[in-house]
Amino acid sequence: MDLAQAVAEADRCLLCHDAPCSTGCPADTHPAEFIRKLRFKNMTGAIRTIKENNILGGACGVLCPTQRLCEEKCSARFASENRPEGADRPIQIGAIQRFLVEHAWKIGFTVFDRPEPRSEKVAVVGSGPAGLSCAAELAKAGFPVTVFEARPEPGGVLRYGVVSYRCGLDFLANELKDVRSLGVEMQCNMPIDQPGGAEKLLDDGYRAVFLGPGLWDAARLKPDRSPIDGLFSSVDYLSALRDGRFDEMVKRAEGKTVAVIGGGSVAMDCIESAAKIGAADVYLIYRRSYSQMPAEPDERVEALEAGVHFLLLNQPVDYVADENNRITGIKLVRTRLGEPDDSGRRRPENVPDSEWVLAADMVVEAIGNQAPAELSECYPGVDVDTHGLIQADSKTGQTSVPGIFAGGDIVRGPALVVNAVQDGKIAAQAIIKYLNQREV
Amino acid sequence: MANQVDLSVDFCGVKFKNPFLLSSSPVSNSAEMVEKAFEAGWSGVVFKTLNSDRLPIIHPSPRMHCVHYGSKKEMAVQNVEQISDRPLKHNLMEFRYLKKNYPDYPIVASIMGFFEDEWVYLAQVAEDNGADMLELNFSCPHMCIEGSGHKVGQAFHLLERFTAAVKKNVSIPVIAKMTPNITDMNEPALYAKNGGADAISAINTVRGISEVGLDDWVPRPSVFGKGAISGTSGPAVKPIGLNFISAMAQCEELKLPLSGIGGIETWVDALEYILLGSSTVQVTTGIMHYGYRIVADMIEGLSDYMVQRGIGRVTDLVGKALPNLHETDQFELDRQGITHYDLDRCIGCGQCLIVCDDAAGQALEWDSGTRRPHLIEDKCLSCMLCSFVCPVPGLISFKEMPRDWNRQETAVKDPGLEKELKYKPFTKEAPNECIA
Repeated sequence: MDLAQAVAEADRCLLCHDAPCSTGCPADTHPAEFIRKLRFKNMTGAIRTIKENNILGGACGVLCPTQRLCEEKCSARFASENRPEGADRPIQIGAIQRFLVEHAWKIGFTVFDRPEPRSEKVAVVGSGPAGLSCAAELAKAGFPVTVFEARPEPGGVLRYGVVSYRCGLDFLANELKDVRSLGVEMQCNMPIDQPGGAEKLLDDGYRAVFLGPGLWDAARLKPDRSPIDGLFSSVDYLSALRDGRFDEMVKRAEGKTVAVIGGGSVAMDCIESAAKIGAADVYLIYRRSYSQMPAEPDERVEALEAGVHFLLLNQPVDYVADENNRITGIKLVRTRLGEPDDSGRRRPENVPDSEWVLAADMVVEAIGNQAPAELSECYPGVDVDTHGLIQADSKTGQTSVPGIFAGGDIVRGPALVVNAVQDGKIAAQAIIKYLNQREV
Repeated sequence: MANQVDLSVDFCGVKFKNPFLLSSSPVSNSAEMVEKAFEAGWSGVVFKTLNSDRLPIIHPSPRMHCVHYGSKKEMAVQNVEQISDRPLKHNLMEFRYLKKNYPDYPIVASIMGFFEDEWVYLAQVAEDNGADMLELNFSCPHMCIEGSGHKVGQAFHLLERFTAAVKKNVSIPVIAKMTPNITDMNEPALYAKNGGADAISAINTVRGISEVGLDDWVPRPSVFGKGAISGTSGPAVKPIGLNFISAMAQCEELKLPLSGIGGIETWVDALEYILLGSSTVQVTTGIMHYGYRIVADMIEGLSDYMVQRGIGRVTDLVGKALPNLHETDQFELDRQGITHYDLDRCIGCGQCLIVCDDAAGQALEWDSGTRRPHLIEDKCLSCMLCSFVCPVPGLISFKEMPRDWNRQETAVKDPGLEKELKYKPFTKEAPNECIA
């Protein structure tokens, strides 16, 4: 979207009274306000509205499933019956948001002034959306913030879990620059993984700690099986596309048959990227049917348009490898849909004697992320549930240890970037309140 | 269907196939262009204003700028274009080409002189080389020499003198083209009539500034760092054109055929000019935006309208809205109405509420649960602002109220302040001559 397109889209906006779009964002984004500002040529004000609320507004504009959040509520959708130009099309809020953030970079407009400095240092563990959002919010209030990132580069899922055609590294670099410009210090290759390491930060002079490490352990189809060459988890595969192993992945996929297991958004990223890097045949293997897929409708269509074969109603049960332990195929069992399960979707049931093998040169499992088993040892005092997810107050991010807060996927389980952003913001506000109270 | 109707017009004895002409401008600059326009369906041309080669004509660069409205392009165009920069001989050869190849398409020669002899010279060469009519350009709005362009249009005795001089020396009909950059066009039009003008065309462009550069503070178009007030045209000026046309059409003393100009893009615009008294219309900015092809839709649209209304000849439509055009003191003020909301079709955007609250009678309440407006009928001013912003066509309409219905008075914020008032009612009688 360019300036002219953004203006045209803002022209379509009905400028609603108590606009419903502004009630649809998990991170309290106010599209009605920034679109109105754009409409009245107050471009800088529109940028301010986005950035003040969400330092990662650009990334959210790109990655958010807006069609079932803000855009789902858009009144322009309902104008369709009465007005041809309404045509059941909500205002493209996500695209406008992305445009405005990129426009700010283009014109060099910065939103924030340096605040009155505070002395209390705060540590943030993890530089994903939750950590960055929390760090930015604290820095805006004047606190010195250090972000500890285990990986070589910051960004978390924005870097290692997202494909470049959705959110490029240049784009991410600009988002990170905005965070850094607030005074946030980022220390990479700094895993906080020693036993008690997270809690020890409180002894090292940090007055509060925010935990936002994310979920980086992949769920596996056959957890006990020894590694097979050519079998990847989605975590490893997506990371490889961004961490220097891109060429290796291209070499593995080019001209070959790639299969991805799963039906969620991550599976769609895996399968579409495999098609884009030159795989000859790409199969998406999903045990239920098309309409039960958790992936967003537009992601599904995009994958189909990219040439992906959707292999529905098939349950993978095992892998086939050659004598060199290279993968050659997947054992599948056909399924049919039975009665609804707890999720309300019809349960897939295996069809007896229907096992078959799909030949494949590379397989990616995209069946979910989970907390690494040993992660909670870094914060032994913090209560976690049976899945290793941190138990934190949903309104404050407060954990069972005073001074330690948490948010993002490590609290919620797999969720949206925009949820993590909100967690980080909420926790930052709670941290500020916590530190102000201790000050008194 | 369409061929059942007669779009042809006799304008001062000159026959046009339809009322749609190119106006004198860049769109009528050469025979090549005009030929293409005729092929597209335009019935005639007011050719780009001739110059006598006495002074060099050099167009400023860039020549034009425009006003966008949001994402809508060219709500208005501003130009600092001059009269034709082509040698007179070339323009006259173009006349001859067009007359030879398109004998049924009248050429109106637009001319502009700076003194009487020059006006007469141009009028004569135009007639001698095939022009069917003349249009005297008394209205180019960015001429700065006294005695030229709109300066003439504003100096009525000059206008009359030049018209008379031309009329004395040619036998073809003469149109005087008027500037809108005055208060009352009837007066100069009557001067033109006294000078012998056979028809009036209006409006030329409206003096204006389309934009000011925010980085360099130069009004646009920036001609190497210099801006100027100059001629504005396009859809934005249509209400101004309709004002002057209708006023002249209603002027009993004038009674000259009118050629309407200003913001015409569609058959609807053209028809509005016709209903208010124009027998032909002229177009430039619409073509600058969309090309000559728009005339096809004007012809088809107007023809179908006439068929549907059972009107055989376009000339029967000329001035048909004039009997309904009154001074505001003729309104029946004892008849009042309010808005009517068809809420079944409401989508809940609430724009009606915003404008009613901030610019009208605060006659709407908002149910934030259902996100629907509720009209307090007795407070509705019938300004209709809500219906202008409503995205659903026809949802908000006007309905008349019974004669005994009364609108609520606007409440005084603090009635307790009455005791602090310093006030006596105004009681003097107005002098008779001031009563409207």
